[in-house]
Amino acid sequence: MAVMNIREAILSTLHAEMERDSDIMLLGEDVVGGNGTAGGPEAIGGIWGTSAGLWAKFGPDRVIDTPISESAIVGAAAGAALAGKRPVAELMFADFVGVSLDQLWNQMAKFRYMFGGKTRCPAVVRMVYGAGMQTAAQHSQSVYALLTAMPGLKVVLPTTPADAKGLLTEALRGDDPVMFFEHKALYGVKGEVPEGEYRIPFGQARMVREGGDVTVVACGRMVNFAEKAADKLAADGIGVDLIDLRTTSPMDEDAVLDSVEQTGRLVVVDESPPRCSLAADIAALVAARAFTSLKAPPALVTGPHAPIPFSRVLERAWLPSPQTVEDAVRRTLAFR
Amino acid sequence: MAKLKPFTMPKWGIEMAEGTIADWMVAENAPFTRGTVLTLIETDKITNEVEAEADGRFVRILAKPGETYPVGALLAVLSDGGEASAAEIDALIAGFRPSDTRFDPDAADTAPAAAPAAPPAPPPVPAGLAISPAALAEAQALGLDLSQVQGSGRHGRISVQDVHQAARAPVAPALVGPLPLLPEGPVRATPVARRLAALHELDLAKVAGTGPRGKVRRADVLAAVANARPATAAAAGVPQVMPMSSMRRTIARRLTQAKQEIPHFYVRRRVRADRLLAHRAAAKGDRPSVNDYLIRACALALGEVPAINVQVHGQDIHQFAQADVAVAVATERGLVTPIVFAAETQSLAAIAATMKALAARARTGQLRPEEFSGGSFSLSNLGSFGVEQFDAIINPPQGAILAVGSARPEPIADDGALRIVPVLHLSLSCDHRAIDGADAGRFMAALARLIEQPELLA
Repeated sequence: MAVMNIREAILSTLHAEMERDSDIMLLGEDVVGGNGTAGGPEAIGGIWGTSAGLWAKFGPDRVIDTPISESAIVGAAAGAALAGKRPVAELMFADFVGVSLDQLWNQMAKFRYMFGGKTRCPAVVRMVYGAGMQTAAQHSQSVYALLTAMPGLKVVLPTTPADAKGLLTEALRGDDPVMFFEHKALYGVKGEVPEGEYRIPFGQARMVREGGDVTVVACGRMVNFAEKAADKLAADGIGVDLIDLRTTSPMDEDAVLDSVEQTGRLVVVDESPPRCSLAADIAALVAARAFTSLKAPPALVTGPHAPIPFSRVLERAWLPSPQTVEDAVRRTLAFR
Repeated sequence: MAKLKPFTMPKWGIEMAEGTIADWMVAENAPFTRGTVLTLIETDKITNEVEAEADGRFVRILAKPGETYPVGALLAVLSDGGEASAAEIDALIAGFRPSDTRFDPDAADTAPAAAPAAPPAPPPVPAGLAISPAALAEAQALGLDLSQVQGSGRHGRISVQDVHQAARAPVAPALVGPLPLLPEGPVRATPVARRLAALHELDLAKVAGTGPRGKVRRADVLAAVANARPATAAAAGVPQVMPMSSMRRTIARRLTQAKQEIPHFYVRRRVRADRLLAHRAAAKGDRPSVNDYLIRACALALGEVPAINVQVHGQDIHQFAQADVAVAVATERGLVTPIVFAAETQSLAAIAATMKALAARARTGQLRPEEFSGGSFSLSNLGSFGVEQFDAIINPPQGAILAVGSARPEPIADDGALRIVPVLHLSLSCDHRAIDGADAGRFMAALARLIEQPELLA
């Protein structure tokens, strides 16, 4: 086990996988970092630091700086995947996925289906998402629910360095388009990462805390908030089954349903507005398939139906927090 | 001759208490037709027209424009059209009593005692409160103070669920608490399935998963756990489930309550029964049972120590002059306690006849409620089963119960000599809220004396 942060886990996984498989290539805005500057290529190593050293090691054919055009990045990745490559497309901000939605939604997601299974599309679209860094309304959003709603795409949200490695490796070995969401506020989170080949199958949730009183479902950074809440609740003897979904498509419905059947209470934490959200989706799943187990209405902890503010104070108020998660759990337990 | 009627201040809506005459629209003695506007009345909410309900005229107008009158006050005297003398009009005015239609939450206090008390007015609804109509109706039906209710809807709007929540008592759910975190294994399984497998020491690899792509679910583990039990053990371990009969439920409820609420204490005593058995053996005709002797002995002892002959009702102790002895009778449906009323006044033979009839009816379920309701004392005798001794649970609201075992030969010291004679073990259970140990001791002493001198019972 090596201790590293999520940024290092992703970077080292890219290095290892690109060494293993020469079909893997990386393309995105400024992934070389420094092209055209006085420092020259690799002077920066990508603005998120997740591509440092790749250009130097694998060369300009496999590590490609693109224009600022998500349509071009994702479209080129879709074509490269059809042609037999394993492209990794990087979107600097997931918020701009809308510009490439046709390439994702109508092309990548549907190739295998439209061609009767005779082709495959092994592309990974890495995109950086999430609030909490004062990046304002257009650079802070969590758009995973949008892509989760599209059949044909796999949607992955690592929360720990180990999961980042295991899930990215799995994405790079698979034959289907994977939407790989990296939270900008989680890059620095440290943890132990298994050495050698490490894969985590998609659709297998991670149990973060176990306890029999309430099921808390979260993903991404919300897992960390929920963990803090669970620790505080544990001091009062309240046991939380905290489930990190890891992947929202496919989703580990059984982990959620099994847990709710035992606890009878559900709190979903989602870093997005509540309407048509992942939180609403999970609440609906439980209401439809574990209704008789419920002792209280499912509680949704989400942001409000509003853009994410730039102001630090307002952004904090917009986001769920360990406190709002804890409050929701206590409310659920107090239902009479 | 004219028919006169009072014309009074109308009541528009539940909260209207008074109105002001804005103006009279018809003059005294001027005839009007049905539908004519008679007067304008202002309330604190509206100004409204009062229309004539029928043709007629005012023979006298009493209320002055600009003056305020309570609801029901006499404003004018109506005539159906004919003439009326001043004396008739004065008589109607003098005899007029307004009907009490005022809106006054405290009216119940001043109303005549005979009038039924008005239901309490629901707490006022805060102005501008966001609440759904159904929730408002529910809250008012429940008499809920809405200013204390937290709304869960958009902008804090109160829903029916919020009202129901506020109306219920807080809960304290039994908590399971945190559990140890199990590592993910190589087998695809949900975390709960993993936890259950560990709990039952089951190898997950041997469990067939029914989830997507063979994922092991909670139900799969539970099924595997059930299958893992030996078949015979499973069959033997399955109890026959019988719902409690209503009689069983009553016994369960009352005795649970008794054992939880009554501070029981027990006084035990051995009594030689040789003379009683000899007395019984010498009896002619239908011999009374040992139990009949004991009923009579208890009745007489209760007369001597009335402190035992009590019922406990909250803060009150009810002491009885007559001994109504409830006797426990086992039936197929469960325990019943028919009562021998005023047992101290009945002869041994009468008690025996009464008990025989009661027990027969008890076994066939034909007891009438009054035959097993009440009782000032209970007697339970398991002697016929060879039970040596036992303690009984008090049958509330009674204050005590006597438990009697079988008469077994035991050595006793008799006048310095050791003799073996039949001995009864008596155990008196007492409610310490009403009965002290000394009373119980005195009662047992009296009872022992009566049993040892059965001629006193005959």
